[in-house]
Amino acid sequence: MNGVTEQTIRNFCIIAHIDHGKSTLADRILQITGAVSEREMRDQILDSMDLERERGITIKAQAVRVHYTASDGVTYQLNLIDTPGHVDFSYEVSRSLAACEGALLVVDASQGIEAQTLANVYLAIESDLEIIPVLNKIDLPQADPELHGRAVADLIGDDPDNVLRISAKTGEGVADVLEAIVARIPPPEGEPAAPLRALIFDSVYDQYRGVVAFVRIVDGGIRSGDKLYAMQTGLSIPADQIGIMSPRMVPVERLDAGETGYIVTGLKAVGDLRVGDTLTLAHNRAAEPLPGYRDVKPMVFCGLFPVDADDYPDLRDALEKLSLNDASLVWEPETSQALGFGFRCGFLGLLHMDIVRERLEREYNLELLATTPNVEYQVRTTSGDEVEVHSPAELPAPNSTEVIREPYVRCTVLVPKDHIGAVMELCQERRGTFVTMEPIENRQQIIYDMPLAEIVMDFYDQLKSRTRGYASLDYDLVGYRESPLVKLDVLLAGDPVDALSMIVHKDLAYARGKALVERLQKTIPRQMFEVPIQAAIGGKIIARETVKARRKDVLAKCYGGDISRKRKLLEKQKEGKKRMKQVGRIEVPQEAFLSVLTIQDGAKK
Amino acid sequence: MTTPAHTGAPGGVDVPVAAPARHLYVHLPFCAHRCGYCAFVVETGGLDRRDDYIAAVICEVEQRCAEIGVLDTIYLGGGTPTLMRPRRIARLLRALADRTARAAEVTVEANPETVDGAQLDALRAAGVTRVSLGAQSFRPRVLERLERRATAEQVEAAVRCARRAGFDSVGIDLLFAVPGQTAADLEGDIARALALGVDHVSWYELEIKPGTALERMGAAPPDEDDAADAYERIVDALTAAGFEWYETANFARPGHRARHNMAYWTAADHVGVGVGAVGTAGGLRRRNAPGVDRYVAALRAGREPAHAVEALDADTRRRERWMLGLRLADGVDTSRVGPPDHPVALDDLEDAGMLVRDGARVRLTHRARFVQNAVAGRLMDFAA
Repeated sequence: MNGVTEQTIRNFCIIAHIDHGKSTLADRILQITGAVSEREMRDQILDSMDLERERGITIKAQAVRVHYTASDGVTYQLNLIDTPGHVDFSYEVSRSLAACEGALLVVDASQGIEAQTLANVYLAIESDLEIIPVLNKIDLPQADPELHGRAVADLIGDDPDNVLRISAKTGEGVADVLEAIVARIPPPEGEPAAPLRALIFDSVYDQYRGVVAFVRIVDGGIRSGDKLYAMQTGLSIPADQIGIMSPRMVPVERLDAGETGYIVTGLKAVGDLRVGDTLTLAHNRAAEPLPGYRDVKPMVFCGLFPVDADDYPDLRDALEKLSLNDASLVWEPETSQALGFGFRCGFLGLLHMDIVRERLEREYNLELLATTPNVEYQVRTTSGDEVEVHSPAELPAPNSTEVIREPYVRCTVLVPKDHIGAVMELCQERRGTFVTMEPIENRQQIIYDMPLAEIVMDFYDQLKSRTRGYASLDYDLVGYRESPLVKLDVLLAGDPVDALSMIVHKDLAYARGKALVERLQKTIPRQMFEVPIQAAIGGKIIARETVKARRKDVLAKCYGGDISRKRKLLEKQKEGKKRMKQVGRIEVPQEAFLSVLTIQDGAKK
Repeated sequence: MTTPAHTGAPGGVDVPVAAPARHLYVHLPFCAHRCGYCAFVVETGGLDRRDDYIAAVICEVEQRCAEIGVLDTIYLGGGTPTLMRPRRIARLLRALADRTARAAEVTVEANPETVDGAQLDALRAAGVTRVSLGAQSFRPRVLERLERRATAEQVEAAVRCARRAGFDSVGIDLLFAVPGQTAADLEGDIARALALGVDHVSWYELEIKPGTALERMGAAPPDEDDAADAYERIVDALTAAGFEWYETANFARPGHRARHNMAYWTAADHVGVGVGAVGTAGGLRRRNAPGVDRYVAALRAGREPAHAVEALDADTRRRERWMLGLRLADGVDTSRVGPPDHPVALDDLEDAGMLVRDGARVRLTHRARFVQNAVAGRLMDFAA
């Protein structure tokens, strides 16, 4: 066993709220254990994608192996399993937790516990992990380790003295973290002699190797060249190459019980491999698979359309390529009267949607129009059929609709006590149902059940702005509930624009329709002609605004020396129009299709 | 349809056989002061270099004699050309005399506070046929904002002197959309402008350009509706008074259109000499560099002055011709200019009452002339 027994293995992950320093701590651990040389060191090495780097968040979980010689003189194998820090990706957190025996709970010493921290801590406790509380950023002047240390200890039922105080940035206290990992986290307890059971906790698509599965070996072991069998999907997978991340991919001959590593599967798309599946040996199968994960379903949908219709095949190719590495991205062709040919795409959440859109635009050089995101509705028609509706256009006519159900989430908000009123007011406005409320350290935890459709709007922005940035949010799907919903249509210059339709609660329809046309009136620039904007429900106009015709659009002075400059001005004007979509005679900017997201202020009136 | 001397390039664009240009622009950059809105190539010091400068300009004309044909128009712009004093302008025009057509239009821009009767007489005697007086406004508050020194009275006196001197055409320049300019200010300017009895009025919307004092003080232009109100009012008032709105910003009594400027708008070849001067001829746009000292030094040494050249391909020239032609009341002669990128848009725009077709001519309707950029954008693919 490479001289390693399960006794000297520690599998752990780091759970933290976004920006609380998880990636910095991971980097520091890699550096201290010599996995990465000073020269190779670059910040946040685990967040390999540029986009993640820019947004300071981690999307893909990875497992990195380092070796650490502890103060007891023993060299331990530490497997750090990275976890995403954003609510959209909480399912990936639970996957990662299942591959660990312990977790570092990293909390910003100046900010304290946030809603996502809570959610992830509860997940870790449920998974029976040993939790090592760590207060990070103690070097900041506004750090309050006393206060937040007590709170963290309370949360996990630990002694405040056991809360480590570190600065991942300066390196202070990080050595203590490594000692604590060795001392407090239990070693894995698999059966090395039993038939192989390996949990697939993540996968990535690599352009040269195909799909690479990240696994935690629970029982038994894998040798390079073994024939593997996926117990849920029934796929046969040759383990042509196995290895570890260190943090680069390093092939090994064998992976044994307790270890984490990767398997090059030879599969062509990550969708072929089910994360959560159990791998066993083809010729010596285990009797029972490991407990899996629940299936991830997209929660938010929007239409993506190329600004230039000729880019449609390129958009399809780009989506295919992204799907290779993102099994949670789903899409199907969609045709809009206003926007032409495009795709209806499903995402885990708004951030996921933003990231996909940005990657399509940036990495694949596509100009895209995105329609207003919506959730998935379930409709029972009068003929008794059950229909899933992913876009307003698919909503059956009111006279053939029996029942519409919409997804609800349980929404946890953590906020300083003086903002409780603002949060409750916002939740009530957004059709929330109060569940419970309790104090956590010097703050209040407020729980509401809310329609996901309301969160998909600008709920998070509103929450932040109404609590001066202090509130944090986490939510989790709790199921579908029946709602009286109607389709709100928008007409530009008398013609309905399908891409602007939305599904709304009937009691809010009038206010939202009014707010939406007001918003559109501000977003759509003046055109050569007057453009009436109307909102309608079932053919009845409920609100109207008008975009006035342009009155002056000229270049004042144009003599010999001005011609090039003026021509360039027209070129620039043309460039600006690329972000516009011609809908009939009207040029509609991209933002207009997202106007629905920000109409809430108007709806409040 | 007649076929002029051009080759039919793809897309119907005419590529003229490079004949010498019949239009010359001369830049005279000296100014006493840089006005608050000015972003032109000007120099506010070193007036002792004026003789050297005129000598250098004459050198450049000689250097480029192959480009310059018999001149139908000459335009002396600035700067403040009248700061050159009449004798230097006379020297320049003498040097150009044997390539100037008999009926040539010779225009000088003049700052009203820099000219008196004797000087205007001298300019007339030197061969200048047309003066364009920079008034900008008659309202003290607006003039102060623009940092203009000529008072309303000085403008009126200059117009009277110019009339006595016997120029063929006397014109003034004015501005609207000046930050702080009220509707009453505008009415006052319109009334005084009309009372002057000039032949030509150029009335520009103020552009707040980078690097100007106005921009530095953070002056904000009026909103589109206010600017449109002013613009429409100006067009209505001047056309009612017998002026023809022959170009976006230009108004003339019959027979008084600026021929030199018409050459720009019909994309006729023209040569520019002097610092910062721009000319377009034979598909090349040449822009001389600023800097009087380096300009003078280069020409004194027999070298070409520093300049940049932009080559214009056939499509770019066709688009420019459309862009420029749409500015004119006469519109675009498609038999000469070639079709727009989107001929179908002509039908749509005609249906919408934005343009009229008259044989091979396409011209914008009154209303459409106020939104000509949008129209141009529909017809042409302006792309870098």
